[in-house]
Amino acid sequence: MDYGVALALVGAGLAALMAGIGSAIGIGIAGRSATGVLSEKPERYGQMFIMVVLPGTQGFYGFLAAFLVMLKLNFFGAGGVPELSVQIGWQVLAACLPIAFAGLMSAIHQGKVCAGGILMAAKRPEMAFKAGVVYAVMVEVYAVLGLLVTMFILLKGITWPTP
Amino acid sequence: MNDIAEQAELGGLDFYTYPPVGGEDWGYAFATAQVRAIETQMLSRAVLLDMANAQNFEDAADLLTASEYALPQGSRNFTEVENILKLRRSAVRKLFADLMIDEPIAELFRARDDFANMRLAIRRTLTEKPLGTDYSDDGNVAAEQFEQVFEQENYSLLPDYMQQAVGRAVLAYYQKKDIRQIDYAIDSVQAEYNLQKARQLESVFLLGLFRTRIDLTNIRTMLRLKFAESDQRSVFLSGGYIEQQRLKHGLDIGYEAVGALFFATPYYEVVESGVNYFVSNKSFLKLEQQCEEHLTGFLRTTLQITAGPQPVIAYLLMKENEIRTVRLILTAKNSALETKLILDCLGE
Repeated sequence: MDYGVALALVGAGLAALMAGIGSAIGIGIAGRSATGVLSEKPERYGQMFIMVVLPGTQGFYGFLAAFLVMLKLNFFGAGGVPELSVQIGWQVLAACLPIAFAGLMSAIHQGKVCAGGILMAAKRPEMAFKAGVVYAVMVEVYAVLGLLVTMFILLKGITWPTP
Repeated sequence: MNDIAEQAELGGLDFYTYPPVGGEDWGYAFATAQVRAIETQMLSRAVLLDMANAQNFEDAADLLTASEYALPQGSRNFTEVENILKLRRSAVRKLFADLMIDEPIAELFRARDDFANMRLAIRRTLTEKPLGTDYSDDGNVAAEQFEQVFEQENYSLLPDYMQQAVGRAVLAYYQKKDIRQIDYAIDSVQAEYNLQKARQLESVFLLGLFRTRIDLTNIRTMLRLKFAESDQRSVFLSGGYIEQQRLKHGLDIGYEAVGALFFATPYYEVVESGVNYFVSNKSFLKLEQQCEEHLTGFLRTTLQITAGPQPVIAYLLMKENEIRTVRLILTAKNSALETKLILDCLGE
């Protein structure tokens, strides 16, 4: 495997790994808060569920970016992986960084916001969506922006070699 | 300078009403969430006021039927209430110990019962009364071990902080042959122990809590000494936010000037309303209520913490306060005390 492909794969790996770590931490935080509330109020499961799974989206964004890199490298097609120059390899790696870092940080912070929302829902269930979910979605926006930048660069900013 | 060092150096003029509560600790996410859910079951102020305004003990007890303090069907006697309140207190302390990830914090709060037991045992020993068996079993030292230690006078079996308290209390008593010196000495050792533990645990919240408590104790001591026209000036606890000089000065001035002395401190409201009530009613009721309210206000500021030991500690203390308030109201109703007096205890 040439150096360019290796760099591109490092990028794909980072996108999936860092966003995945962020999601795992975020869900961990929100999940612990939710179980605390559910131990006393199991009837709130539905409300809690949305807020627990929200930080999981970044992991999917990272996976999507990594999958796109693999598709562009013809990982699953016939003919094998084409040769990639070092310059393009660096470009792919750089393209993967926005979702990697935005995913990592936003998922952790979204987990904290969701934990706050869960605590509020324990006391004021009518505010669970208005404040808990909406505030968490605001954090999500920055992960989406990271994913968009990654996708724009991967789809429009790089001249991929034909297999 | 780290947070705990900054907090230790804060003075009474460095914050507006309440000291800082510290940062978050995500290890407590579960514990905090559980506490927030249980907090919703606490008695509202409206229920407490309705109990205070009830015609008699039975009517007041009836208002608790939908709560965790509900008496068994048909039972309306005070002993039953006492048992339920004791059970609730034990349950809340057990929950606190279960939720507290940092065992030293749970140990620190259990030590309160050790100091209370010791106070009782030393008083009884020094006044040559029977030691008795009515010690709390919620402390770090078991009640039976307590009786054994004091019967044999073998204090080496006690933890260090308690040995120190016994030594200081006995010495203070024999120096003046005054029973109150035992309380002053134990209060002093307990305050030192609390502050030392809070620093060891690097807990900004605990340090703020204990320093605030020291200030409130000192303010109460100052007004009591003033009322008794006592010249004891060495009984103020050290380590609070308020300088001892200010408290000692409070002993030398008239009641009308005491409030102004605390004008720039977070305790102005507490002192002003407490002194005004004392001057017109010759009672410390309002002062006690204001001190309790100030402390509760500080505990409520832990609402801003999403995860940490602070909300769990605050819940324990607020729940204990609720149990005390229920006991107070029902005791007062059982003794047919005036409703106004009970309402004064609860505050506006």
